[in-house]
Amino acid sequence: MQDLLANPAVQGGVAPLAIALVLSLALRPLKLEGLSLIAAFAGSVYLVSGLDFTPLTSTRKVVVLALAAPVVGLLVDFAFKPTKIGAALIAMAAAGGALWAFWPVLAHKPDNLPWLLGGSAALALAFLGGFALLQLAADSVRAGAAALALGLGAGISSVLSASVLYGTYGIALAAGAGGYLLPQMIMGRKGQGSASFALSFAVTGGLIAAGAMTLAQLPWYCVLVLAVVPVGAMLPVPRNAPVWLQAVIASIYSFVIAGAACALAWPSSQQT
Amino acid sequence: MFKSSIVGVAALALPLAAAAQVENYAIDPTHTVPYFEVDHLGFATMRGRFDRASGKFSIDHAAKSGSLEIVVETNTVSTGDNDRGSRPRTRDEHLKSADFFNTAEFPQMTFKSTSVHFAGDNPDTVQGNLTLLGVTKPLTLKIVRWKCGPDIRTQGKRYQCGGNATGSFKRSDFGMKYGLPTAIGDEVNLWMSFYGFRQ
Repeated sequence: MQDLLANPAVQGGVAPLAIALVLSLALRPLKLEGLSLIAAFAGSVYLVSGLDFTPLTSTRKVVVLALAAPVVGLLVDFAFKPTKIGAALIAMAAAGGALWAFWPVLAHKPDNLPWLLGGSAALALAFLGGFALLQLAADSVRAGAAALALGLGAGISSVLSASVLYGTYGIALAAGAGGYLLPQMIMGRKGQGSASFALSFAVTGGLIAAGAMTLAQLPWYCVLVLAVVPVGAMLPVPRNAPVWLQAVIASIYSFVIAGAACALAWPSSQQT
Repeated sequence: MFKSSIVGVAALALPLAAAAQVENYAIDPTHTVPYFEVDHLGFATMRGRFDRASGKFSIDHAAKSGSLEIVVETNTVSTGDNDRGSRPRTRDEHLKSADFFNTAEFPQMTFKSTSVHFAGDNPDTVQGNLTLLGVTKPLTLKIVRWKCGPDIRTQGKRYQCGGNATGSFKRSDFGMKYGLPTAIGDEVNLWMSFYGFRQ
């Protein structure tokens, strides 16, 4: 059993997919299925590196922020309505979170790299947080498609950037998004759109990309390209198409952008 | 009067004489090389090294005590795999990432002794604390070779001590858990050459 749980395919794929599937079905009556994503991510983190928080490294700060995102999302879901001002506040908080996680490391980089990398991380997180809340929180299928592509894009480009750890985290996020999308596709009914899901995938996916940039070798511009992955999910899909087809089309749009980020990560990796 | 002055001077000199028996050495960075080895996939043992280490040690032969402090630059980790070829990244680049040594966040690991034990006239074991990835855990280094004498490269003008030390630790104790338990072993064996120049 221990060998099975130590298998990277289980840690980053099977386990988070299973967790998200079970929880999205179990929490659907409560309209809390959005929480399944972060549960899947946390399950993967537990299997890969354990849920330790001391010393509070940048990677552990990523996990802390990922766990905090759905809490903020729940507040938005149940206490507030998403507004532009709210989205701006969320964007600033997400950018601040990225700097809290990575600035202590970035500050030691030479020349103007701290500003370039820190600015990229902050900008990416601000856009992801604000966009996800305003545009994707209300649509569970588009949000699921965006999460799937962002997770895979961040994961694969992290692997190309020399961090399998961040790669596993990204792929786990994608697997969790798959577990959230699949029941909707199979049952043919959209789930409850939620800020808890939207913020979970946006903040976590953005932080994974920013982490691979800060602690591995992901180029800064790949982080910015990954940040616009969710925009692909907002492109037009046939309104009367079945849910599964809407999910597939929105995912394909998003995959194109995520693929571009991976392609940008690959050539840079050839430069020594 | 004269006699009491001599006694006074002698009393003042006694601590200085004792202090003079403590010899301080600065680590020679170019000949102090920490190596490590770890199980890989259960098939073979992989070895690597850190190209840059610095620090100091002191030794008091009379009191049979001493101290040791070594700082290792983790960004100099090398396993000889630094050519990407058709791969996206090399093993050395992977070792520097957050998966292993996380060199951007933790550019140094340190060892600071807490006690030095002698076997005969020579130091035998050094007990201390290893700080890696922000975690500090006890580590014992065994001195397997030790010699002091004039450095022939300076026609004897410089005095040096050198030798080899070994030790081992579990990387999971320091939060380095990537690849556990099957891909990359938990037990890390250390082997180090070291030199110090008397100050």
